[in-house]
Amino acid sequence: MGTLIAIVLAAVLTNNFITVKTYGICPFLGVSKKTSSAAGMGIAVTLVMVLATLVTYPIYTYVMVPLGIDFLEIIFFIFIIASLVQMLEKIIQKLSPSLYGAMGIYLPLITTNCAVLGVTELVIGDMSSIIGEAATMNVGWAVLYALFAGLGFTLVMVIMSGMREKLNYYKTAKALAGFPIAMVTACFICMAFTVFSYISI
Amino acid sequence: MSLLEITNQTWITVAIVAGIFAGSALLIGVLILIVGKVFKVDVDEKITKILDNLAGANCGGCGCSGCSGFAAKLADGSGNLSDCHVTSPEKKAEIAKLLGIELKDEEPTVAIVHCNGGIENAADKFEYKGNPTCAANNSLLGGNKACSYACLGCGDCKAVCPENAIEVTGKLAQVDPDRCVSCGACITTCPKGIIDRIPSSAPIYVACSSKCKGKEVTSVCKVGCIACGLCAKACPHGAITMKDNLPEIDYSKCTGCLTCVAKCPRHIIISRKVVAEETPSKEEKEAKAE
Repeated sequence: MGTLIAIVLAAVLTNNFITVKTYGICPFLGVSKKTSSAAGMGIAVTLVMVLATLVTYPIYTYVMVPLGIDFLEIIFFIFIIASLVQMLEKIIQKLSPSLYGAMGIYLPLITTNCAVLGVTELVIGDMSSIIGEAATMNVGWAVLYALFAGLGFTLVMVIMSGMREKLNYYKTAKALAGFPIAMVTACFICMAFTVFSYISI
Repeated sequence: MSLLEITNQTWITVAIVAGIFAGSALLIGVLILIVGKVFKVDVDEKITKILDNLAGANCGGCGCSGCSGFAAKLADGSGNLSDCHVTSPEKKAEIAKLLGIELKDEEPTVAIVHCNGGIENAADKFEYKGNPTCAANNSLLGGNKACSYACLGCGDCKAVCPENAIEVTGKLAQVDPDRCVSCGACITTCPKGIIDRIPSSAPIYVACSSKCKGKEVTSVCKVGCIACGLCAKACPHGAITMKDNLPEIDYSKCTGCLTCVAKCPRHIIISRKVVAEETPSKEEKEAKAE
């Protein structure tokens, strides 16, 4: 139970992918103008994170480590994730056109998303890179971490898009209008999230 | 067993790694190919052809998320071609040919502000000193105008107009019909929802949006519609009906006789002809100069 809470808190708040680890900044700044599209992007990233972890973790543990080619992890993971997203896109298009309409445009964007690669890289090895304590890792914890990392990603995306939508109501100084004010907003969100780093279990 | 322990020689190691990559790339490639074949989706050729002919502005004026959504709607027959105001008539004719339907002769439309309030006519509820945008003004008790259907005059429509067709004079937005391309940007932006499209040849328009009853309107505005219904009774062609305390004009029946304009006690049915005649055109100016 302690590990579960530690993983959830680390993934969502204390080591949030966007605000603390600064992974996945491209969708964070690019797709956060509207709450609906930000939430769609977040859900798509979560789905891909879970699936990618589900595939890469067993491949790493049961194929790459025994064969002694674990030093190729980054290239291999990029390989696997990119092709996985390609296949996923086609499968979704066939099985659920409505889901494809809502999420389809985000999937190609996630192909080379660093947040997805980041989560697959973090979960291999032991727990120390995630919750700071040495504990054995398994597929279940890995997928759980990926799921909550994705949810944390979605949370920050929705917060950011909500703030950017509210910003539209106000006239900003011309030099700051548009992207610069989004950067300032992002900065404040990141600073707010540093508060969670004082949580200790 | 480790693959790389077979040898200490570097080039063999490199060759093995290259072989692993080539093998897995081939495997993944074949996998993608198989998935692509199994989950193949037949895209309607008609949709891509329609999409080629659409303006491609992705403005969302039709209510779809983009031109591709609109093309799909057109192809399955649930969309209406006249919902698109950006595509040129020639391209629309092509699309109509593709769909096998007859293109109705549509009249070009222009946007119009259904309010004649402004500083002089419409009373203020309070003095607004906040951010000079309609959206911010509207979020505070529905804006500073006593009439909840009044133009706030902060110019959000002017800011979004791509053609600079909107002028705000005396806290009242007005659309220049010569410049307006009927893109609908102002219609979706206006927080009061008082901008609408009318046919560009329309002889008259209603310059009020208030759905309140007469007494409430007179207490807040000098030029608001009191829903007396005189225009509907006076119209010799039956083009005007009263709906939600406002006259609704059926432009297909209106002949431009301007009876309603003369009858309206509040002067809120405005003749667009007179406006055109009052401002002399270039030719007339030149003729006068001579």
